[in-house]
Amino acid sequence: MSANWPERISAFLRSPSQFLCSTTSDIFLAEVLHELRDDRASDHIKVLLLSPLLEHPTLLCPSVFVGEETALELMSVFAQCSPKSLPLRCHLLLALTSVLLCSCCVSSHTSASQDFLDLLLQMAQDTNDAQAGAALHPLRTTACDCLRELEACLPGLLSQRLELLSSLRQQENSRLHQAYTGLHALALRNAVYLLTQQKEAGAGDLKAALGSNEGFVWGEGADSAHPNSESHSDLALFSPLTLGTMGKVPSLQTGLDCKELRSLLSSLLEESYLLTSLSQAALLRQLVEVLAMVPAVSPTILRAQLLRLLGTCKVCLLHTTLLMKAAFTDSLFNAEDEAFLLKRLVGLSQHPLLSTPEKLFYIDCILHFPENRPISSGDESLPVLLTPRLAAALVPTVFNDSVSMLARLNLLSLVYLEEGEEDREGQGGRGLAYLYDHLTSLLRIVENQASREMVVTFFRASFLFLLHFCHVERYSEDLSQRLCDLYLRRTRLAPHLINLADRTQDRLEESGWAVALLRALQRTITEAPLSQLTLQDLRWHLRILARVAEEGEVLQRATLNFLLCVITSSSSALCVSGDWRLGNSVLGVCRRLLLHPSLDSLLTPLADLLQHLTCHYGETDIQDHARLYYTLLTTLSQEKLAGVLAQRGTERGRQAKVRSLSAIMGENEELTSGLTVHQTERPLLRLVKLDKHEPDECRPEHKPDSEPACETESSPGQGGIEDYRAQFQSSSFASEITLQYHLTHTGVHDPHFDKLFSIRLHFDLTDGHYEEVSDISVPCLFRTRKPPTVRLRLKPKQPYHTTLRASAIFTTEDGLSWHSPLADLHVAFPEVFLPLLTPLGWAREKKQRVFEGIWGEICSGQSEGDLTNTATSLFCDQLEDSAVGELVEKYFQRYLVSDLDKGRCNVLFFLPPQSHVLLKVITEEDAVQVHIATDNWKLLPYINSYLEDITKEIHSTQQVNGDV
Amino acid sequence: MSVRALWIISYERGESVAVRFSRRYPTVEQRAKCMAGSLYVSVPEDGTVLQLLLTELGLSDSDKPYMALRDDCLHQQRSPALELHVEGPSGGVLWPMLVISQGPLILACLAVVDAPADPRPPLASLFSVSQGLTLLAGLQAFLCGSGSKPDREGLTSRLAMMPSILLQICPLGTPLDIPQPGASSASAMPTPAGTQKQPAWKTGVHRGRAVVNVALTEMVRSMQYGNRNRQDLWDVYGTVTCKCEVEGVLPNVTVTLTLPPNGSPLMDVLVHPCVSSLDASVLTAMSVEDCDSSSFSGPYKFPFSPPLEPFRLCSYTSQVPVPPILGTYQLKDDDNQLRITVSLKLHESVRNSFEYCEAHLPFFNRDQMGSVDVKVSSGQLEVSKEKNLLVWVLGQKFPKSREVSLEGSVSFSGELPGPTDPLCTDLTAYIKLYFRVPDLTLSGCCVDQHSVQVYSSAKPRIVTSRELLSSEYFIWNSTGTAPVSSGHMML
Repeated sequence: MSANWPERISAFLRSPSQFLCSTTSDIFLAEVLHELRDDRASDHIKVLLLSPLLEHPTLLCPSVFVGEETALELMSVFAQCSPKSLPLRCHLLLALTSVLLCSCCVSSHTSASQDFLDLLLQMAQDTNDAQAGAALHPLRTTACDCLRELEACLPGLLSQRLELLSSLRQQENSRLHQAYTGLHALALRNAVYLLTQQKEAGAGDLKAALGSNEGFVWGEGADSAHPNSESHSDLALFSPLTLGTMGKVPSLQTGLDCKELRSLLSSLLEESYLLTSLSQAALLRQLVEVLAMVPAVSPTILRAQLLRLLGTCKVCLLHTTLLMKAAFTDSLFNAEDEAFLLKRLVGLSQHPLLSTPEKLFYIDCILHFPENRPISSGDESLPVLLTPRLAAALVPTVFNDSVSMLARLNLLSLVYLEEGEEDREGQGGRGLAYLYDHLTSLLRIVENQASREMVVTFFRASFLFLLHFCHVERYSEDLSQRLCDLYLRRTRLAPHLINLADRTQDRLEESGWAVALLRALQRTITEAPLSQLTLQDLRWHLRILARVAEEGEVLQRATLNFLLCVITSSSSALCVSGDWRLGNSVLGVCRRLLLHPSLDSLLTPLADLLQHLTCHYGETDIQDHARLYYTLLTTLSQEKLAGVLAQRGTERGRQAKVRSLSAIMGENEELTSGLTVHQTERPLLRLVKLDKHEPDECRPEHKPDSEPACETESSPGQGGIEDYRAQFQSSSFASEITLQYHLTHTGVHDPHFDKLFSIRLHFDLTDGHYEEVSDISVPCLFRTRKPPTVRLRLKPKQPYHTTLRASAIFTTEDGLSWHSPLADLHVAFPEVFLPLLTPLGWAREKKQRVFEGIWGEICSGQSEGDLTNTATSLFCDQLEDSAVGELVEKYFQRYLVSDLDKGRCNVLFFLPPQSHVLLKVITEEDAVQVHIATDNWKLLPYINSYLEDITKEIHSTQQVNGDV
Repeated sequence: MSVRALWIISYERGESVAVRFSRRYPTVEQRAKCMAGSLYVSVPEDGTVLQLLLTELGLSDSDKPYMALRDDCLHQQRSPALELHVEGPSGGVLWPMLVISQGPLILACLAVVDAPADPRPPLASLFSVSQGLTLLAGLQAFLCGSGSKPDREGLTSRLAMMPSILLQICPLGTPLDIPQPGASSASAMPTPAGTQKQPAWKTGVHRGRAVVNVALTEMVRSMQYGNRNRQDLWDVYGTVTCKCEVEGVLPNVTVTLTLPPNGSPLMDVLVHPCVSSLDASVLTAMSVEDCDSSSFSGPYKFPFSPPLEPFRLCSYTSQVPVPPILGTYQLKDDDNQLRITVSLKLHESVRNSFEYCEAHLPFFNRDQMGSVDVKVSSGQLEVSKEKNLLVWVLGQKFPKSREVSLEGSVSFSGELPGPTDPLCTDLTAYIKLYFRVPDLTLSGCCVDQHSVQVYSSAKPRIVTSRELLSSEYFIWNSTGTAPVSSGHMML
């Protein structure tokens, strides 16, 4: 049906939510499954079709039921696949695994999941291609991978099949043994863990488990561990036990008698060399866990592999070695090994042949080095063995990329911080001097037109340095002086400097460095010669000064003097230029000064400044604001002033909670977010159709004016049809249909959207059958209140069914604007029907005459072979008398022209703008005939399917009633 | 130990940014959800992930000089794992997002945190991180092909292969292998049924003439300052690349590296995972500590069973007593004119037979070169087309004296400004040397043809080679301030 599957699938994968706005998940799922069964579709397309199931199974199969149905479908597709379609069959297995696991079929123990497990196990048992041949390798590997994933998600599932898994692994000699090994090791690990959780389990149980070959374990162990079971608390099933954070590793007391396990582990270790690095690392980790849980087997069993692993160039294998060390500490690694490993890590962190991410990872490993005898257990603590001399290999240089440089700076800061503590005067040693030198070379680079990335890196490095060495005044004071010099040369760095001040103030509150920096910046700005001031510099200066003005401890006289000089000096063209943004920035500083604790001493100059702005600034808005500030300043007490202006709190606008555009505020980022329309991730609103027609809604458009009333007087009982036709001379007559909906929230529950305001619904057409739909406004929508009713007026050009794209823009309580798509609105064909529209007061018989008149015209048109749009037709169905009554009552009541009498009645549907469908319903014995006449033959197929639908409906209700 | 999702993004500065491929692993997601509990944050759709990723990498909105979200100094992206801050109702922090980028490609994957999420476990304790990094590096090597930058069509065709590649190497979120780019299936035959298990990293067995090729490449780096207060630096690192066409499911090969009698030991030895055993003494020497002369200095034996494709058997670093070429560089500013004096001296221990040898003298933050009045004692001097670089082609040989010099002056009176560089301002300038010497290693390390042992029925042909290449070989102007390049300087 849809030739462009690749496009549709990629659209779905790109954004499932957007894709599902135009269809529903069950329709899409049905389409996908249908196409999968289609023999004409190529394998390539079918593999593509599986990807939505593979990647988003929970969207398409939200319930166990749907999951089960889908799985059955996929299994039957699998069964019917040509044996040659290997990639397709492999992908089918993967999709089945995803669907069954994610829709909880496996944990619910459904029959499809049992069948699937049996299928997988059966495929896996064909070791060394005894039956199917080497061509099926990929399929067999995939089957093992699927089993492994099932075991991973439902730990213990295969815990009673260890013997089988072990023999499969041993038998297989082709490359596939890797898949069997992975499966076996995971099942073993989970089985041993489950044993540790059993009371009084011992060597005998372990032996029994290793030799077990029963069925799948759907029972407690597996089930209680399922991700979706609410009560589950035993996360250790999924997570490594060797972390240490898990508390004590559970252990299985076996005594010394576990020969079987020891020999099993040795054989797995021996073969580990034959696995790819990634699989090898995974295997080793699982064995480490088993060893940690069974103390009877000594970890020294790993020693034979150790040198090979320590020398490896693969990050995953070396990492496993570190995890081994964390798990077994000095029972596997003596002090010498520990020192070696640490030096090795330092060497790898700067190795010329390794990639940056690998080196960064190793630096992180140094910071979390698993020491045999850890002294502290902080977040990032240095291993004792990491001496400044050793760490010197990792000092940051200007040749490092940004991320490496920062990582090294952090590490070395920690090293020299410790060194400094042993130092005499707390002034830091040579190492610290080096780091500061490094910082200043970065600063020089920033001075020399460095890239944006370099600038950001420099400020991050400065922040990092201050975090550690803010207390070393020699450097912190020098740094702030250098930053001021830098600022004068590169004023556009103002936002970075403000950010640095903000962050250091947050993190190092007691140090006062941030305030000192701001004070120094104020001095730098106000003492610089005015003659060299450019407009661009001034903009940045004002941002800095505004930030400085937020500090109560910093005297503001200099700022005011500077502003007065700039604004009032005769040479300044600022006031004349009337730049709104600049004026606003000046006002921003003033606004903060109004809140400054030393306002009393600033009163006169500030008033002067505001007055000057009021009188001379060339921009009315700025003048107005200045006047307002002036009035506030001169009339309100300081406390009141603070109350008026400080509504955004002391957060400096960074995390302001209340957004209000009417507040007196400067330009800031909150304002931007307040002015932006945000996009919701999922549809938040929906329109629910109201079926009931309110009585006054029967004739939505026909508000009879005085004329028809007169007409009824003047021509009683005469020429009904002409009168009827005459109404259409007014072009707006009966041209619209009105549909009613409730506007409600969708199932997505988010308290943020509980109260919505100023909702504007927008509709887009998907075809040309209707005129453009105008937007609808709804004042508010509260989750707790009755949903508002929305009347959608549609003006058809052609009276067909249609689909409308709908979206909403609204405001949330905090003042943010949001745009959210709504599900498509489907307008069905019968929703276009209107009853016969006649002036008020027309008698039933007059309507009947109109009916007969139109009927006659249509029939005569037909018989004359006229090539107009008229058509007649006949619809028959087997319906009993009572059923006909129900049919008429349920569907035609509103459109009846004559009452139902002896199984006969006349029905007229008017379809705007100008079409009529007339029905004569005649019941004879157990059959009903519906004679159809219409002046628009194109409507016939729709009428027909409509009649089919409603009679089918009647049949089914009759059936139900009959059964009852 | 799995990844929740994987993305391949192409990023071209100023041009297009797009998610070219993505893959989610819903079963892993289930486990992640279970582990994270209330801290669980679902993976957003691709568009959102892309935006968040670019912000974290500092690549978004490159036209804006400062953005709080992107440039906040509090964000310290120090580790290879990024945090993505997902906004909105189901928002939170997605961590650890592993990212590798090279050229126009950004590869990212979200590793699963298989430990209780609160408090956040250290990155180093998460097994999935090294797995994810290995997977990403493997994919990167595959996508980029042999060159460092993938060509557009090659990339497209390789991206189209991703579904089938992932079916093999990471079908359900747990990485099993990395793609094998160089695996030649032509000579590989399916394994005969036998009792010996075939390694999973070997796609078949070799049939035909046995050939073992061992190539030793050494790179030399140097920073020379010509300054009494600043120690010059140089070091060497080497790699041994093998291509072994040997019959058998698990054939044994041993390659032995030997050093001359007084050679300094090989340090920081890293070996390929196919090396089956190692002697502890091979690993003892390390560049981060002072090595004593009595330590082990070979022979270094590497027994292994080779994969079919060429591979890097091992790598090492070494500290050699002298740099191969010692140079001085002096600049004097003279009225928009630079007076240049350069001398280069080839050390007597180095064979005077280059494949090529060039010295590049770039000039930054100045106008284009106008008149160039420079004489060289040997070789030719060329001015680059862009007129910001002098290329001194020294050719195959230094003269008998093993010393060459360059002298003269350059004026910068060109019409256009030359390239800028934040580091090389004023008199901070460098010469970069490019050279290759065949059949030489500075460390003296060599692979003797006879020391390669192959335990197989047919006698193999054994080819060995070695070469010395320059890499980051800088000589800084001694009259300017040169940047510090290593911490060893200060100690």
